[in-house]
Amino acid sequence: MDRECASLLPSVCEVLADSGRSVPDDTSLEKLLDWFTELTEAGGSLLEACPCLLKFISTVVHNTASDPGVLSFTLRLTGLMAATEDGFKMLQEQSVLNQVFNLQHWQEAGLWDDPCLRIGWIQGLRSTLQHPKALRFFVQSDFIDSLLQLQTDTSLFVASAANQMLAHILLFFQKVLSAGSNGVSKTEEEDERRIHHSVTDLEPPAVTMETSAEYSAVVKGISEYLKESLIPKEKTKLHQSLQILKLLALLLAQAGPPLRDKLLQTVTDSLEQLVTAGCSRLTLPLMDVILAANRGHHDTVHTARAVRILLLPLDIITGPTLLGTNATADEHPFSVVEQLKSKTSCISMICVCLTNTPQITLTLPGVLPCPPVLIVTAVVSLLRICSGTSSSSSTVCSEVCRNVIGSGKVQKCALEALTALNSSPGVKEKISEVFTILIQYLDNPDSDPTVLHKSYQALVKWIRACTDLSLITDQLRQDLVEVVRKRACDMRWEVRDSTVEFLGHLAGVHVSVSSGEEVCDASEALLGGCCTTPLLREALQDTESYVRASAISALAKTLTHSWRQGAALTQDQTEIVSRLLEILSQDTEGFPRRAVVQYFISWFFSRSSHSPPSSSTSSTSLLMECVRTVLSQGSADLDWEVKVHTLELAELLLDQAFSAHRGYRKGSDAHRALQHPYGVVSDQAYALHTHTGTHTEGVQSDLAHVVEQGVISALLSGLVDCDRPVALKACRLLITLRETICPLSLGALDATAATATVSCELLGRGWGQEITKILGMEKSDRAREADVSAQRSSGAADGGGDSVTVSVCEVLRSLGLDERLDVLTQSSDHIHNSPLSLLQDILTASGAHTHPDTKPGQEVIVDCY
Amino acid sequence: MKLYCLSGHPTLPCNVLKFKSTTIMLDCGLDTTSVLNFLPLPLVHSPRLSKLPSWVSKDGTINLEKELKECAGRVFVDSQPEFCLPERELLDLSTIDVILISNYHCMMALPYITEHTGFTGTVYATEPTLQIGRLLMEELVKFMERVPKAQSATCWKNKEIQRMLPGPLKDAVDVWTWKRSYSMQEVNSALSKVQLVGYSQKVELFGAVQVSPLSSGYSLGSSNWIIQSHHEKVAYVSGSSLLTTHPQPMDQSSLKNSDVLILTGLTQMPTANPDGMLGEFCSNLAMTIRAGGNVLVPCYSSGVIYDLLECLYQFIESANLGTTPFYFISPVANSSLEFSQIFAEWLCHNKQSKVYLPEPPFPHAELIQTNKLKHYPSIHGDFSSEFRQPCVVFTGHPSLRFGDVVHFMELWGKSGLNTIIFTEPDFSYLDALAPYQPLAMKCVYCPIDTRLNFHQVSKLLKEVQPLHVVCPEQYTQPPLTQSHRSDLMLELQPPPMPYRRCSVLNLPFRRRYERVYILPELANSLVPSEIKPGVSMATVSAVLHSKDNKHTLQSVPKPPPVPPSKKRKRVMEEPPVVLAPKPLLSGAVPLEAFLATLQKHGITEVKVEETADGHILHLQAEDTLIQLEEDGTHIVCDNNEPLRTTLRDLVLRFLQKL
Repeated sequence: MDRECASLLPSVCEVLADSGRSVPDDTSLEKLLDWFTELTEAGGSLLEACPCLLKFISTVVHNTASDPGVLSFTLRLTGLMAATEDGFKMLQEQSVLNQVFNLQHWQEAGLWDDPCLRIGWIQGLRSTLQHPKALRFFVQSDFIDSLLQLQTDTSLFVASAANQMLAHILLFFQKVLSAGSNGVSKTEEEDERRIHHSVTDLEPPAVTMETSAEYSAVVKGISEYLKESLIPKEKTKLHQSLQILKLLALLLAQAGPPLRDKLLQTVTDSLEQLVTAGCSRLTLPLMDVILAANRGHHDTVHTARAVRILLLPLDIITGPTLLGTNATADEHPFSVVEQLKSKTSCISMICVCLTNTPQITLTLPGVLPCPPVLIVTAVVSLLRICSGTSSSSSTVCSEVCRNVIGSGKVQKCALEALTALNSSPGVKEKISEVFTILIQYLDNPDSDPTVLHKSYQALVKWIRACTDLSLITDQLRQDLVEVVRKRACDMRWEVRDSTVEFLGHLAGVHVSVSSGEEVCDASEALLGGCCTTPLLREALQDTESYVRASAISALAKTLTHSWRQGAALTQDQTEIVSRLLEILSQDTEGFPRRAVVQYFISWFFSRSSHSPPSSSTSSTSLLMECVRTVLSQGSADLDWEVKVHTLELAELLLDQAFSAHRGYRKGSDAHRALQHPYGVVSDQAYALHTHTGTHTEGVQSDLAHVVEQGVISALLSGLVDCDRPVALKACRLLITLRETICPLSLGALDATAATATVSCELLGRGWGQEITKILGMEKSDRAREADVSAQRSSGAADGGGDSVTVSVCEVLRSLGLDERLDVLTQSSDHIHNSPLSLLQDILTASGAHTHPDTKPGQEVIVDCY
Repeated sequence: MKLYCLSGHPTLPCNVLKFKSTTIMLDCGLDTTSVLNFLPLPLVHSPRLSKLPSWVSKDGTINLEKELKECAGRVFVDSQPEFCLPERELLDLSTIDVILISNYHCMMALPYITEHTGFTGTVYATEPTLQIGRLLMEELVKFMERVPKAQSATCWKNKEIQRMLPGPLKDAVDVWTWKRSYSMQEVNSALSKVQLVGYSQKVELFGAVQVSPLSSGYSLGSSNWIIQSHHEKVAYVSGSSLLTTHPQPMDQSSLKNSDVLILTGLTQMPTANPDGMLGEFCSNLAMTIRAGGNVLVPCYSSGVIYDLLECLYQFIESANLGTTPFYFISPVANSSLEFSQIFAEWLCHNKQSKVYLPEPPFPHAELIQTNKLKHYPSIHGDFSSEFRQPCVVFTGHPSLRFGDVVHFMELWGKSGLNTIIFTEPDFSYLDALAPYQPLAMKCVYCPIDTRLNFHQVSKLLKEVQPLHVVCPEQYTQPPLTQSHRSDLMLELQPPPMPYRRCSVLNLPFRRRYERVYILPELANSLVPSEIKPGVSMATVSAVLHSKDNKHTLQSVPKPPPVPPSKKRKRVMEEPPVVLAPKPLLSGAVPLEAFLATLQKHGITEVKVEETADGHILHLQAEDTLIQLEEDGTHIVCDNNEPLRTTLRDLVLRFLQKL
């Protein structure tokens, strides 16, 4: 904690403890608590750093007129301080702890009714419970009953927090005990140090016999309670059972063997009773518990049973194929069929089943009731039933099937399951069947856009998994072409977008054609190659910008292969290029423009990684011409992402020019992390490529070339950009460049001397002017006069002033890049987010509130953001 | 109450309801699917169709050279197409009082019913129904009259011969009821009997029942009907739609509390969702045009075409089809497009509000203005000089047997670049295409039927809760081709009553009450007495007067003064002496209170005996019995009239008199 904060904290405590003053809003308190947590986690002792907190706590706790928000804060703060054994001891010695967590005290003061206080109590206790002493305190204070009561609190937040807390006690001390029982003796010192250092560190503190006994008592108490209260007393009061099921799921998912066995042993009877009661509202949470019990539980008997139960709904709906015809009556419990007859529970049960099928097929073969291929068949049949095209072979009832016909939710779940099933063992033979149903879904006029999207995804995944496509008949290929053509003309842009994306993905998959020798991309193998490019070209004209953007990305993927091979450009491709440049300069939406820059990035990348840069085919010269245009237009774009992508292209050019030089650090790794999540990102991996050229002509000519391409202009304009990510990226690249061409180290002086002669031009307007200003280059009086007169004249548009020619090295050295980088790396709100500012805010706000002249309605509302 | 079912077609119904002495025909749909058995009528001479071989049975015994032709492997009747009429023998059509029309598709058989049958009643329909119905009839007549065929084929209808014929002809039913199209004169005469009504307008029929049309949301002016008396309500639901298309939305709430709901006109395509079909239509259209082909859309000149044009209006921009011409060819194309714009009050709210703006409700006006949509009465004339390909043509008839569409089939059928898109659900597209096979043209079937589907109708019925539902038998089982789809049928409790062609149903429905009016002076003379709080009763003596299904209670006429006559010829002629009726008693005699009263009057020795129906009081001193029962009191008292009278008066004290 810095000095300033430490000096402000006492007054802040005073403000908070004064019930007469109005309280800062919740977010301020939350932030304050966050800050304290950070301090604790960093290894400091709060009590030592700010002794005023102790006084604060006892003042607030004794003042029943305190605001519930502040009280809640205080409880949580106390918990935080008691999380270390030291802190705990000290608080206990001061008898603060008993006072703070004394339930009776709060109840008598009438404050317990406020959920805010109850939640503070729970969370405070929870923070405390990090060491055996706290557990003893918890047990001795007899908090367990109160906590169990809170589990069914009227406030959902309180109930949930109580559940979390119960889970925490059982799980945390379980770890402690199991580690402690290993018999490794540790010196007290060691423990002291560790606890002192970190409260969240899960390494177990010292364990004593008492701890173990206390823990057992807690486990016993809780599990007995679970057993007793699991069965609802009345059919209508399911709240408690629901909460307990949630807790059980939470516990079973994480508990280790002794605890887990103990829990299962205690509650199994009650669970079974609950299952037979057939309460449909409890079905889903019950299934969660069963899943959790199964997780990590590798005993084959239980797993096999769980698998059978999970597959039961699918088996019932699609006809008994999965579990075998000898599925006994007890596996077809009447209640399951009954539940499937209700639409809502049917849909949720089948969805749970579907979500788990991929995982099921990956479990041990001995556990599966049937080979994975049958599960694929069942999912395919379910999809058929869902689309209404086929009936179930199930004799159970058409009533159940009726619930899933046309259900978008089931369709989506089934498609997801099918997608994930592609990698299950032995299912490849099903590809033709899978293709048929997916094409049918793509063709179905009633499929909604999400269903279509998922169908496309499933197709791509299956094609990727089955590299041999000889199983796909010509008829299926033809159907696929037809349906893709149709969907490319769909009324809904989402569908057109998915279709275009699909074409791109397909082009990215490599498959072997028939014999397995020749490899080509899947779009050529399946769609015959004559369909993709025309459809994508058409999509460049789409009215929806997302579709245009996707079409551009897809085109890039489609052409990557021919770029890599250095094939000459076709007429078609040349036309596409000019259309793309048109989009970059004219499209009103950002997405397509971003995609265009990405297109050239991947073109440049695929080409440069496979052919020497010196090869001057027509394709290369067109590319270089385009790159120049993209750099100049892209860096002048209005969209910051276009500009960032443009800088990425510039980076590639730098990489190409200098990667063989000493001292050049490639930024490719860094730039992946910088990409914006919403940007159009090509899947292209930016693998490291080796530069084949040798260090012959020296830095000088490379630099001159880079300047000529417009890279330097792009970087300089980016540096003074008002969008921080752009400026940051440009700044980093410029620093890299500076390190390469004019390093300050002595050994590189020779090179510096040579490169100093390379210069670039700064225009007297726009970014050029900005750079000139930074460089502090004084204009001559004459030039300034000219400038003024140019501004006066109406023709100022194309020439604001004189251009200046400067040495690149000179510029790089004089821009103060390192200082800029420092400023740019700090987030824009770093000042407002500091703890100091928080403390000041609280003080200011309270000052404003208590100011005698403040009239009501004129209050200053603290804006923490 | 009886229902006579004259049509077996669930979406082209024709039912007759006998209800309270009125005979009401509900719709008169014309089943035109019969035309599929006939050869197409080409507008332009077609060498292919004119050179078809005659059909000869395998053994050569049957040779109807003039009547049957073989085409594309099937046998067709070579004559003017004929339609399957509603049943005309089931009841005397001249007894029909009124015909209620629900939409313009369901009135095409009107001339067959109102002309030459002795029909003297009235037809009720909304204005758009009448006007657009007239257009459709006019179109039909023109289609037929443009290609006159003198010959009428009848020999094949002979039962013995029909039995020997192949394919669908053999299985055609009721072929003797098939008739050629009517004439324009008959149309005019039939339509002159139409009386216009507005939604929710109440029309009295002979004082017995009231009929009223409700918006059904399916087409311009389409209606469901409520037929009700004071105590009974029958709802007739014909083609209805809950989708948001151009017409006014469906009025559902007025259908509530019906005793019987007659349900017809559900979607013919329960598995084809209109939105999906519309999407399908657009993408296939765009795909064809982009590939340089033409699109042919066989359709009716009114109805879904308005929605199609609206949808295309939005779509052509986004699909870059701006320069492709759209042609609408029909003898009534112009009127149809213009009529749709003027029926503002019948449109959905959204379109209604446009009437107050300087723009027409339907965007097809703009398509016409910008020359993107052009309409022509026929392929002859202006069209042939302005025709430009690739293009989209909307034209009739959707059966592909007559109308301008026949020409386009001959013209475009041979190229795989072209596409025919079926949007009307009335005809099986494979049957429609049969005489044109083999066909290179691409066929897309996206029937757009906006009428209620089974899901919607079950929801509707749950809401309006009719006591009984009557429907075509087709709705009570899954479709034949999709027998596993048990969700595509009506499941109700109690189960719906199914009907088929020629069924006569006794509707399960008892008339329990009748409304009777009472004249003011008579009402004035009544003396009501309150029998329990809020309920009063009075006795009435009056004469019941019934006329025009109205019942009135009038005062009993005073007996005319006895004419002075010396001789009384016959006693019987004397008017009956009207005695003042004795008051009616009500109430019960409370035992304890009665005993107390007896005691007050000196009767002390009373033995009370409990019986099944009440009590017997034995007045021992007087040797008298009083039987107090639920519905009567007897005093058994021999030879002591004063005592009996006293006792009677005591009993009466406890009872109320009317």
